[in-house]
Amino acid sequence: MGIQEKFKTDRRGFLRLGASASAAGAVLASRRLSAMEQELGGADYSAVTGEKRKAVPYTCLACNIEDGGIAMIENGRIVKLEGNLDHPNTRGKLCAKGNSGFLHVYDPDRIMTPLLRTGKRGEGKWKRISYDEATSLLAEKLREVVERADAEGDHEILNEIVFKWGRNRTGGAVKRFMHALGSNAMVNHTNICESSKKVGLEPSWGPDIESCDWANTKYILNFGSNILEAAYFMNPNSQRLVDGVVGSRAKIVTFDPRLSNSAGYSHEWYAPYPGTDAAIVLAMANVIMNEGLYDADFVRDWTNVTAEQLIAHLEPYTPEFAEKESGISARDIRRIAREFATTKPATTFSYRGPVKHLWGAYQEAAIHMLNVITGNVEKKGGYCLPRGMGWPQPDPVPPKPPAPSAIAKPPLYPLASHAVSTHAPYMVMRGEAKVSVWMSYYDNPAYTYPSSHVWEAFLKDESLVPFFVSFSCFMSETTELADLIIPDVTYLERHDPESMPSGLYPCLSIRQPVIEPLGGTQEFRKTLIDVIHKVDPDGELGIRKYFQFDSVEDWMKQHFDNLPGLKEEGGYEFLKKKGVWPIYGKVDKNTAKLVDDNGNEIEPEYALYTSEIPAEEMLGAEIQEDGSIVKNGEVIGVRINERNYVGFGTPSRRIELYKEEWRKYGFNPLPVYKRLPSRDKDPGELVLTTYKVNVHTQSRTASLKYLAEMYHKNPAWMNPKRAAELGIGDGDLIRISSPLGYMVTRAHLTEGIHPEVVAISTACGHAAYGRLATLRHRDPAADWALGGDPDITNNVWWDDRGVHPNPIIRLSVDPIGGSQGWFDTVVKVTPAQAGDKYGDTVVSVEQSMKDYDETLRYAYTGDLHRANHQEVDVDWENLPEPKLTGH
Amino acid sequence: MQADSHVTPDGSGETAPAGIADLQARAGLYSLLGRCLEAEADADLLHLFRGPLRGIVEELELDLGADVMDGPVDEVVERLAEEFTGLFVAPGAVLPYRSVFETGRLFQPQADLATNAYREAGFEFRNLHSGEFGDHVAVMLAFVARLLERRAGALAEGDGAAADAWEARRVRFLRFQLGPWAIGWARRARSCAQHPFYAAILDLTEQAIWTDLCQCCDEKTLRRLVKANRRPLVRPKTDPEFRKASGL
Repeated sequence: MGIQEKFKTDRRGFLRLGASASAAGAVLASRRLSAMEQELGGADYSAVTGEKRKAVPYTCLACNIEDGGIAMIENGRIVKLEGNLDHPNTRGKLCAKGNSGFLHVYDPDRIMTPLLRTGKRGEGKWKRISYDEATSLLAEKLREVVERADAEGDHEILNEIVFKWGRNRTGGAVKRFMHALGSNAMVNHTNICESSKKVGLEPSWGPDIESCDWANTKYILNFGSNILEAAYFMNPNSQRLVDGVVGSRAKIVTFDPRLSNSAGYSHEWYAPYPGTDAAIVLAMANVIMNEGLYDADFVRDWTNVTAEQLIAHLEPYTPEFAEKESGISARDIRRIAREFATTKPATTFSYRGPVKHLWGAYQEAAIHMLNVITGNVEKKGGYCLPRGMGWPQPDPVPPKPPAPSAIAKPPLYPLASHAVSTHAPYMVMRGEAKVSVWMSYYDNPAYTYPSSHVWEAFLKDESLVPFFVSFSCFMSETTELADLIIPDVTYLERHDPESMPSGLYPCLSIRQPVIEPLGGTQEFRKTLIDVIHKVDPDGELGIRKYFQFDSVEDWMKQHFDNLPGLKEEGGYEFLKKKGVWPIYGKVDKNTAKLVDDNGNEIEPEYALYTSEIPAEEMLGAEIQEDGSIVKNGEVIGVRINERNYVGFGTPSRRIELYKEEWRKYGFNPLPVYKRLPSRDKDPGELVLTTYKVNVHTQSRTASLKYLAEMYHKNPAWMNPKRAAELGIGDGDLIRISSPLGYMVTRAHLTEGIHPEVVAISTACGHAAYGRLATLRHRDPAADWALGGDPDITNNVWWDDRGVHPNPIIRLSVDPIGGSQGWFDTVVKVTPAQAGDKYGDTVVSVEQSMKDYDETLRYAYTGDLHRANHQEVDVDWENLPEPKLTGH
Repeated sequence: MQADSHVTPDGSGETAPAGIADLQARAGLYSLLGRCLEAEADADLLHLFRGPLRGIVEELELDLGADVMDGPVDEVVERLAEEFTGLFVAPGAVLPYRSVFETGRLFQPQADLATNAYREAGFEFRNLHSGEFGDHVAVMLAFVARLLERRAGALAEGDGAAADAWEARRVRFLRFQLGPWAIGWARRARSCAQHPFYAAILDLTEQAIWTDLCQCCDEKTLRRLVKANRRPLVRPKTDPEFRKASGL
């Protein structure tokens, strides 16, 4: 009998049997096999021995989102990073950057020992010294300033000790260090980031960012934010955004001159002319108010304006006006306004796109207002307040020093609560501030700032910066200019307290060494302790007492062991074990929602502003005419409809759409649209914009092989029609010229860009930061890159590191929020000229210095400020005098 | 360097005083190379070259640099420290670690192999500067020196079994830990050296290791080690049109 005869079932029969069986589903599912990644999150096993790997929780710092992570350790080495399922906002997920972070630890280009400069600044000549020698040298330099200030009885001298950071997640350590030394000269990086967004929000409702309830919303208006790739809280926000769009059928509409992946994911994408968001938004508000689609109760009860005031204010901003300014049709603006106002719940989100312009704070205030007038604030599925947690600082806390610092808070920008760090080198070069010791931490302004060549020139000049120390563990474009490098460890080897409002569940987390600092390197916190102990060895200067920590762990215990709630659960030890506190519940594998032991969703709290003030707290309180509740001279809430609410974090405890403080300096107290100078460019010119990509931070990740392989070059996006007019084809070598000089790169032609815009990503074109970032070094890149690591042997196929656009980007600062106008530089794009080579960059420091003068004309004391704000009802002859206000 | 004619690949050795002296001489050579590559040169090291070693340096026509032999000590020490840091320590250097040579990363299992070998022989690795690991070429060279010294000591005491054990350990370490990478590394570092002192020391290092390997390895093993050290370049297949067409 042949086999065919023996078995009567043919192939078709098998398939039918299989199909029927598969319909039975779970009945037949093996109970002995399960997908490891689903069942065993937080546990991992050695591929060699099968033994369980040690799992250590930590908080990520590949970028600034601070996701919860678990490091898998085998034989004392980090072999894998994954998300911490106990983190309520990131819920077991890390992004590409986070997954690659351990490569930092073992990077052969990491600085593993303090280095003292031996050649000229930036020449690349060093000698190795010990941490002890290095901290002694820094302490000696600091002590010299302290003693000079003491001898001359002048506190201002202490502000010659300057600390500049790019990413400071030390939980107050830097501030403690600087205040202990008596200096207020702390210079952050926030004005090259989103400071005008913060300043657009803070005076209105208190906090500096929104936390959208993406998962439960029905409608999202996204202005200039690449939520899925790069925006603030990218990982948690993109998880919840997908939940909202897929699970809640939410509609998303994106306005962005460039077709980002978030724009591509949206139901509708519109490419407005750069910097015209406020025209569109105010026109939408006009439609909503005039068609009676606003939330009348909320506007009446919870804002400091009336509907009539708003309607009058919005009168000029018709959809037709917005169409003329932005290029977006009035019909679409009307339709979207109606959809947004009538679809409940809804929310906006915005990030750098609208605010990185001159007057960016107005744009953010306008976007925020859309949520307020539609009553979506603090609603489930709406536009919510951020939720974070604080932690106590160990006693004694050094007091704020008496002398304010001009470099930390330039007096011409009184509303810029997040300072104006771009101005620091210009101020010193102009003699407006003085430096004796410049310290740099997680900072690379010679690469990341506009006109980055100005920072290079500044930091190279020993007459301006007599002593420059960097705490970086990588040789960045800035660190290579230092006199002394005292390397920190990577974020996987050090301690910090953390709390980020990355979702609707407030939590505290810890960054802790998942392995011992590699090769005896020393974490920054220990360096600070050592330096202070050497500045003030016997305590005679009164500085040492602020750093009486037995160890770094002792310092961390003093943060965590005194926090009510956490303290009872074990404080520092609890966080070491779990990485995050509190533990809300567990992540449901099917819905990704946080659930309790019974599988019920643990909902976040909403409507925080409506929390009522307990009766005992009201004892002794007085109700003012405007409803604000005052106790002991402080506003503690607001009385509305006979109830006492905590309200919002403003002086009136209402949302202050009308900002009196802005008016005082001649700015419009209500959100307005101001036509940018770049809107009036010559027809032959383009607006240069930049953007971040999903696998890189601004400057710190180009050395990571996984990420460098995925993204390492950054051609200029151009619209094909516009390129054709300019005689440019796809891949052609082009010259992009601004008043500062020019760069030579290649064109990438795509319909996904506004015809008047050329866009170049950040993260590429490094002149430093290791071999993969630069594709050059003393050890020939080819030998190194292709010699050892099989990954690199097979995968470093590229010879193009991209071209960095920042040198040709002009300094241009929002006079309200202080933000750098990254998207305001007007350029000419032409085919490359004879002799131009890919990567050529020619720029002028002198031209950039002129931009400093020009941007000051927009500050509140400048002539262009008044010319652009004629509508403001203020006594222009008697604006407040500029004054130092400290930090 | 003088080849050790008394040593065979299986580790059997001689007890004659000449053999002990020879072992001590070779230990001295490895110690010297280890010292030069382990840390920056100091005045003591310069004085060693200028005094006791001057004759042999001249005899062997080693070009260590005129400044090393006769220049102002403080200046030369500073100059060599700068070169040492640029060549072996700072970012972009030719890092002297087996882990980096073989994997492109710091502190991989190669470091454990080395420190385990030290421990088994009764030595503990301790770093004096941050960023030092057990698979540093200089520590490995120093370890070979210690093994040669121990063997010489055992021979001097007439303990042939112990001498054989020390020799077997040395051969094993040479073949499996130093041999697979140190020659190639020394050659690469030599090509990047900007001061003749380090160029000469790296040349000597390569020669010393190779000479010893030739004494204790068969042809097949030597061919394998040559291949491991060569790390031939793999030229990437680049398509010039790829960039143009892809844009991204």
